Amino acid sequence: MKLRMSRFLSCLSILAFLGCDRMPGKPQEATPIVIGSPAWTQSTFNTNCRGCHSQGAEGAAIPLIDAGYWKVATDAQVIQVLEQGQGVLMPSYLDSNGGPLSSDQIAAFVKGMRTLWGDGSSGGQGGISGTVVAGNASAGSQVFASACASCHAAGGSAGSVTDPMYLKLISNQGLWSAVVYGRAALGSPAWNQPMPKHPNGLTPTEVADVVCWIAQSRPMSSANAQVNSIPKDKNVSDSK
Amino acid sequence: MNREALIQIVKQPVQWIEDRTGVIAFSTPLLSHHVPRSAKWWYVFGSATLMFFTIQIVTGVCLGTMYAPSASNAWESLRYIDEEIPLGWMLRALHGWSSSAMVVMMAIHMLQVFMHGSFKFPRELNWITGVFLLLTVLALAFTGQVMRWDQDAYWGLGIGAAIVDRVPVFGDQMRALMLGGPIIGGETLNRFFALHVFILPGAAIGLVGVHMALIMKNGISEMPKPGEIVVPSTYRKGFEERMEKSGVPFFPDAAQRDMVFCGVCLILLVFLAAYYGPFGPGGMPDPTLINTNPRPDYPFMWIFGAVSLLPPASETAIMLISPVVGIVILVAVPFLSNSGERAPSRRPGMMLLAVFVVMAIVALTWEGVTSPWSPVMDGWSALPTPTQFVKGRTPLQMQGAVVFQYAQCRNCHELGGFGGKRGPALDEIATRMSPDQIVRQVQQGGGNMPAFGKNLNSAQMTAIVGFLSTLRPENEADSSIPGAQLPLPIKSPLVVNSPFTGTGVPAEISAGVSSR
Repeated sequence: MKLRMSRFLSCLSILAFLGCDRMPGKPQEATPIVIGSPAWTQSTFNTNCRGCHSQGAEGAAIPLIDAGYWKVATDAQVIQVLEQGQGVLMPSYLDSNGGPLSSDQIAAFVKGMRTLWGDGSSGGQGGISGTVVAGNASAGSQVFASACASCHAAGGSAGSVTDPMYLKLISNQGLWSAVVYGRAALGSPAWNQPMPKHPNGLTPTEVADVVCWIAQSRPMSSANAQVNSIPKDKNVSDSK
Repeated sequence: MNREALIQIVKQPVQWIEDRTGVIAFSTPLLSHHVPRSAKWWYVFGSATLMFFTIQIVTGVCLGTMYAPSASNAWESLRYIDEEIPLGWMLRALHGWSSSAMVVMMAIHMLQVFMHGSFKFPRELNWITGVFLLLTVLALAFTGQVMRWDQDAYWGLGIGAAIVDRVPVFGDQMRALMLGGPIIGGETLNRFFALHVFILPGAAIGLVGVHMALIMKNGISEMPKPGEIVVPSTYRKGFEERMEKSGVPFFPDAAQRDMVFCGVCLILLVFLAAYYGPFGPGGMPDPTLINTNPRPDYPFMWIFGAVSLLPPASETAIMLISPVVGIVILVAVPFLSNSGERAPSRRPGMMLLAVFVVMAIVALTWEGVTSPWSPVMDGWSALPTPTQFVKGRTPLQMQGAVVFQYAQCRNCHELGGFGGKRGPALDEIATRMSPDQIVRQVQQGGGNMPAFGKNLNSAQMTAIVGFLSTLRPENEADSSIPGAQLPLPIKSPLVVNSPFTGTGVPAEISAGVSSR
């Protein structure tokens, strides 16, 4: 009886040993990275973009995990922003500019993001352009007064958009995107959603006009400039 | 063939070997020598250490058949062992876990010997060989970590070389000797490989032999009893008499306890290896990858913690002198007190010292494990500003949040529990600092923070301070620390309305600061 028991135990331990290659401690084989795959796109996004462009209410810049964005923006426009940077705070991600991605990778990345979040749209839809269109400033003044001023005038409840400090940091394209895409999760309407005295939202022309008018308040010296190098402002740099 | 003839067939070669070598005559007293009856479960740790050492040799030899000790292939060969060789990962896991277990078991063994005063007469040399065994095993652990040839190994070597480099006069030569050249390269791996597989194991085997021979010579100490005092002139006679009278043979009486304990340790070891797998290898040993957070293995984590916490001015002196002092003190222990009481209850000062050393090592290890000493290098581009900090903010403050990411503040500062831990978390910064104070801190840095004055223009500074000034719980007041300077009177009509401050925060803060 005792002998049987020990035989049984040794058989069991041999079986257990054979099963060892399926133990939880076995290191997982590294899966090769496929550029353009959803996993690659997501991880590239998580490492490089998520800090500013996350989803919903998180993050301070335009959310990219948003079907509305991909409906309007075309691949060419997004690639342009990624390769050249945008305004003051969006750096270039192209390797020849010191960024982490080659131009092939950027193209694959944009395509990948559209597949992940784009709702099947190829961009250029939604009735408005994704990039700035020239407008008429004096007409824009009227649009601002009727559609925006109740919240966004100087001292308004949602904060001024004509503050020179703000305009020094945001490009015309940034203003355009802010008006067109809004921040639904934070209560800021997109261009075609109801605004005071504009129950059906704005027209594309009105958007162009109001952006043109807001941009006029930007101090001339820094007009849409890339001011991310050494600052010209004596007050700040000369702290002694 | 009858039974008698069969026994003869077996007996003859055994007798032949015994006649030529005397192996049985040699080993019989090893097994049958008398040990104190009181030597019970406290005495198993040394045997367990020896068992783990044996496992190290067996698994190490097996790994030696597959490991490629060259800078260009080492990392890849570990991957090969892990993924291609059947159960190769298990071999590495056993080697790694057994090495940690050996260090732990050795520390427990040493602590037990110290607390029971077993190092006193006549076992001073047992203790001293033990100290050198400890150093050898730690050296084996360090060189073993280098064998992984990953980022931890690379930076561990870098730190080691930097410490050696600070030796006065001979620093350069010693560093060159350690690395095999001016930089970490192929020669470095080769000499650490030679240390790890030839020199140190050889030294350890020799020291274990001496350690065991001394145990045979001096016997195993009895359990300490208060009042039973060690007097060198009479100790040996009394000990031998007591062994004759009340001792029990090592085999099987004491050995069975060793075997049970070693068996339990072995099962635990296999479980740890099967469940948690091998150590590393971590990322490729590429010094251009800055997004790395290298850590030494656990036996060295407390040193890592201690060295990192040293004030910079004292670093060199403490790093070079304290190991020497520590080793000298360890070696001197049996000479400082080799007679008298052995019982822990009669040596309260020594017990407090032991408790203090253990607690210090545990605490420093904890500091090392949880240390925030490396910034989160991709924090700025990977960690989003949490919802509660962007909700209800003005456009300028939102741009401030973007500047906060853009200037890579997040790499060192947490928001909402995510981010670097080098600087303080900024979730409630507005309750501690007024906008003016924030401007000063961002511009001039200080307290381990670099100055950002030259990297941010006035608009960026205004925006980031506007954003930071909103970071406080809704039900807590703005910073109005007694004595804190209040924001200067508003010079421009621009007022950034914060939904939380009510009265508004002056936007043109930078002008105010420069006039001070």
